[in-house]
Amino acid sequence: MSRRNALTALGLAALFGSSAALGACSKDDDPSARRDRVKNGAEIYSSMCASCHGPQGEGGRAPALRDLKTPEPELVAFVSERMPLGKAGTCTGDCAADVVAYILATFKGPLVCEAPKPVARGLRLLTRREYRNTVADLLGGTGSPSAPCGTTTFVYDPGATPRKSVHVAGSFNGWPQTVAGGGWPLAFGGGKWSLTRALPPGRSTYKLVLDDSQWIADPANPKTEPDGFGGVNSVVDVACSAGGAGGAADPTAAFPPDTRPEGFPFDDHGAGRVITSAHMDELFRAAASLARSADLSKIVRCDVKSGGEACLSELVSGFGARAFRRPLTTAERDRYAKLGRGQGDADKGARAVVQAMLASSSFLYRSEIGELQADGTYRLTPHEIASALSYSLWATTPDEELARAADSGELARPEGVERQARRLLASPRAREVIGVFAEQWLGAENVKSVEKSEQVYPGFDAPLRESMLAETRALAASAFFDTRRGADLFDASYTYVDERLAKHYGLPGVSGADLRKLNYPDGNRAGVLGHGSVLATTGHSDQTSPIRRGLFVRRRLLCQEFPPPPPNAGGVPKVDPGATTRERFAQHTQNPFCKSCHQYIDGVGFGFEAFDGVGRFRASEGGKPVDSVGDMNDVEGFGKGTHARFTSLAELGKTLAESDAAKACLVTQYYRFARGRLEDSACTVDAIKRRYLEKSGDPQEIILGVVLAPDFTVRR
Amino acid sequence: MSMNRRALLRFFASSAMTLPFAGLLARSSEAGVPTQTAKRFVVFYFPDGVPEPGPGGGKWHPSGSDTSFTLGENLQPLAPFASRCAFLKGLSMGPTDAGSHPGGAKKLLTGVDGGGGESIDRYLARTVGAGAPYKHLYLGAMAAQNSASGDKFVSYPSAGTTAAPEDNPVQAFARLFGGATPGGGGAPAVDPTQVSVVDTALADLNDLRARLGDAERAKLDLHLEGLRDVERRVKGLGGQALPSCDQSLASLAQVDTGKLYEAAEFPDVLRAQIDVMVQAMACGLTKVGVIQASQHTSELIMSRFAGTPLYKPGFDMRSHQASHYGQSSDPKFADYVAQRTWFVSQFAYLLDQLAQRPEGAGTMLDNSIVLLCTEVGEGNTHTHDQMPFVLAGRAGGSLRTGRVFDFGYRRHSDLLVTIANAMGDGLTSFGQASAGGLPGVLA
Repeated sequence: MSRRNALTALGLAALFGSSAALGACSKDDDPSARRDRVKNGAEIYSSMCASCHGPQGEGGRAPALRDLKTPEPELVAFVSERMPLGKAGTCTGDCAADVVAYILATFKGPLVCEAPKPVARGLRLLTRREYRNTVADLLGGTGSPSAPCGTTTFVYDPGATPRKSVHVAGSFNGWPQTVAGGGWPLAFGGGKWSLTRALPPGRSTYKLVLDDSQWIADPANPKTEPDGFGGVNSVVDVACSAGGAGGAADPTAAFPPDTRPEGFPFDDHGAGRVITSAHMDELFRAAASLARSADLSKIVRCDVKSGGEACLSELVSGFGARAFRRPLTTAERDRYAKLGRGQGDADKGARAVVQAMLASSSFLYRSEIGELQADGTYRLTPHEIASALSYSLWATTPDEELARAADSGELARPEGVERQARRLLASPRAREVIGVFAEQWLGAENVKSVEKSEQVYPGFDAPLRESMLAETRALAASAFFDTRRGADLFDASYTYVDERLAKHYGLPGVSGADLRKLNYPDGNRAGVLGHGSVLATTGHSDQTSPIRRGLFVRRRLLCQEFPPPPPNAGGVPKVDPGATTRERFAQHTQNPFCKSCHQYIDGVGFGFEAFDGVGRFRASEGGKPVDSVGDMNDVEGFGKGTHARFTSLAELGKTLAESDAAKACLVTQYYRFARGRLEDSACTVDAIKRRYLEKSGDPQEIILGVVLAPDFTVRR
Repeated sequence: MSMNRRALLRFFASSAMTLPFAGLLARSSEAGVPTQTAKRFVVFYFPDGVPEPGPGGGKWHPSGSDTSFTLGENLQPLAPFASRCAFLKGLSMGPTDAGSHPGGAKKLLTGVDGGGGESIDRYLARTVGAGAPYKHLYLGAMAAQNSASGDKFVSYPSAGTTAAPEDNPVQAFARLFGGATPGGGGAPAVDPTQVSVVDTALADLNDLRARLGDAERAKLDLHLEGLRDVERRVKGLGGQALPSCDQSLASLAQVDTGKLYEAAEFPDVLRAQIDVMVQAMACGLTKVGVIQASQHTSELIMSRFAGTPLYKPGFDMRSHQASHYGQSSDPKFADYVAQRTWFVSQFAYLLDQLAQRPEGAGTMLDNSIVLLCTEVGEGNTHTHDQMPFVLAGRAGGSLRTGRVFDFGYRRHSDLLVTIANAMGDGLTSFGQASAGGLPGVLA
């Protein structure tokens, strides 16, 4: 069952109260019949329910079922009509009665979790981010290895010959014969023809076409390759992201996007990340392009041109061990030495070695295969542990010290792992990665692309969006590394803004493009709740969305799931100048069917109404005062009865900062991020959660809890 | 059968019983193959279903008899091609998981709930499409936004595994035609260094596969398939010469690669992708391709398409949002209908491009089979019955076109079988609840 389908929403049960009489269980007065029901229910539960609700009813993808207070007949009716989600109607009558009897009889009292089971051994394909960081570290320098970055300028000197037109035709525009056919025309000025254009990343080939008829290689470009007809094409390599000037070098620009399973907001979920044919094509090209332009003196100390066999061997063993994140086997050393030798030219041979290593499965996947132990599990090798630590904490390949710790066996011991983990945590690179965690956890990364109506929100441009994202990253880094207080994520009375964002928020006294820490002058905003990145991504293009904002709090901050709306839910109510957003959305909480879910969602979202769809404060909407009193029932989980009312985001922030559900959810979300997978059940993160609470809510303890847990280094 | 085909083939490959079983497969595979077959298969997918079926078929399904019929409003753009289309009624995707936009997308081309099987396009890429330089081409327009969840994609390289389409037509074009020159043609050059690099990568991969045993086998199978494709190209396609063809593509100049995900640019991007697909097929670079326009539950603001009937400045109407105005009683029903018609007009453009290229005694369209599809039937209610499928192209003469076929109630898995048969592959079943090719569709 997919995450989005996961639901129990016991509140829904109220809806079926009227039909509950049909499922009456009073015939179970007989204790032995009751025992049979429970026994039978146990089997049903383990086959139909446990995968989402947890084997002990501890909750997982679906809510916890422990200590339920809902009346039994209502539960039976609910199971009959709604469960299992997506296959409703497959457990009715005795099935529903039995499983409810089991749940009520068994899931009582505090939960006792066993140590999490190891996950399957396997391979984790580098994400685009990890690939980018890794090749930058391996090849030395983060700059583009290829010459032009962003835009390319074509210049043609016609000498004394007048031309009617000069255009560029190449692999990027379809080799058009004429300007009218789509050729990119050069403009004449100062005695020369010229044109500046953004080119797609990767290698392009082109020619210049004079007067729509005469094809020539670009005389100003020395890089050429045979055109297959005895002539040459000009060649240009672009290692920048698409979009042109100012773009950072990005060897992964042409890679397919890192897709994620439905409802999973983080990169690098194992099973779905695969190399298909189109992907392999790009990986192969990227390896070729990186190897072609690599500065070999940065990756091997000897001079490959004069160093002979010894230098080739040093390249193979030394660069190989860094690229593969482990020493090479003898067979691999021989294979690569042979490849290098076979090119007839030392430089060409070295580049072939680098290319093949960057195209190798040993480079492209992080190995989590391990070695078989006496107990039948597999323990990760010290080198695999080094990679797991480094990619989790730094999103890149192990540095020299970590590689040494693997070589020396330090990482075979838990205290060695802890020493290295703490060292990595102390680096600015760990801060950056926590920024990435926050972007993905909160969905803040989508602020870069969320559609906004120009008419309603003029000036919501790319630089402002970037500033918003930077704000969220900075607050997360502060909570994890400066204040070391996880609660700051929800209730911080400060933020980080540059001049652009400060103006947008109406905060005075900030100038320049650098982020500045600033205390809010009023109590309107708090933590990430008041961030433009969150408020804008949870809004529609032309209005706010109390629904999305309520769901944001439930799903992202409290880890409480809801099913997708029913097909006939209808669209978003139309913008109406005569009514506030709150008034227009009120129908959800009036219609009883809608109410079964929306009673958990809308009341929370309404509490955000003092902020518009791009995160600006507003006291009124369309001339009417905004009502931003919020209301949140069952804060700590469905059926728990905890209730909060708030009149500002600061109050909501305070509620969340103190909420056990929010604390547990932060732990759960970080686990998902670092491990690239969903937890099996609430028990998977139980020990980490307790560590976090015992250490007074220091979020570094979450990170340490995840990477020092026994199941981090063991596989099955 | 409980094993999917890929697993089954692997089983045969490792089995001592290879020969007799293989013979069995070959015999059964001749069953549905017509004497003339299509040379290529293109899928054109658009999101979020079609309007409710109404009296006489609503806006989509044709009304009238099998051979004398009237196209619904949505299909009007296909009027010039009606004699080269087969209009299919009564096809159902059967029950599937809740929230059935994703459920439909997963099942659409796989025929299996939850995307639990290889999709028909990938299957055909591996079988009849295997000789082409690129076995499969998957192009999208705003189909793979950043961090798009995998369930948005319709093409499944293996059970449970999706892969993102290429959303950038300039990049797609550069990848396909990057090394070529004006006029094209001839066998590709072979660089011995690249040959030894790919051999090294293959040796590493085989070591890893051996080390892992059964773990991660599906992942590494796909990887190996991808690397073998690179190998074939690097090694010059066995000296196979490609047809000489016109490689210029004017529509690429309309695409601003910095704005691939802006709704206003969508029509230009989609058109360019259609052009790239047709060009790649005309130049013999691929035989099987999928064009995915947007993604299910699409946030595409179609009212920003300047120069189309959908254009309404200052008014945001999204595809998915519109689909819930899919009942004729709704005042905004017309927006939804118009959006669907626009998607069909893009499909018509694809057909037109194929029809404009002569091939043999006819055109490329005559030798193709092209599928128009979306992941749900009625957009508003997410039904998976009365799926709005249209087949186009004459499939080399084997597809009986200019007709309406009404199957009453038949599972769409059989449509996938029929497509395979039209491509010369003798599948007899594909996906779930498959009972063989659709009767009467192939001559």
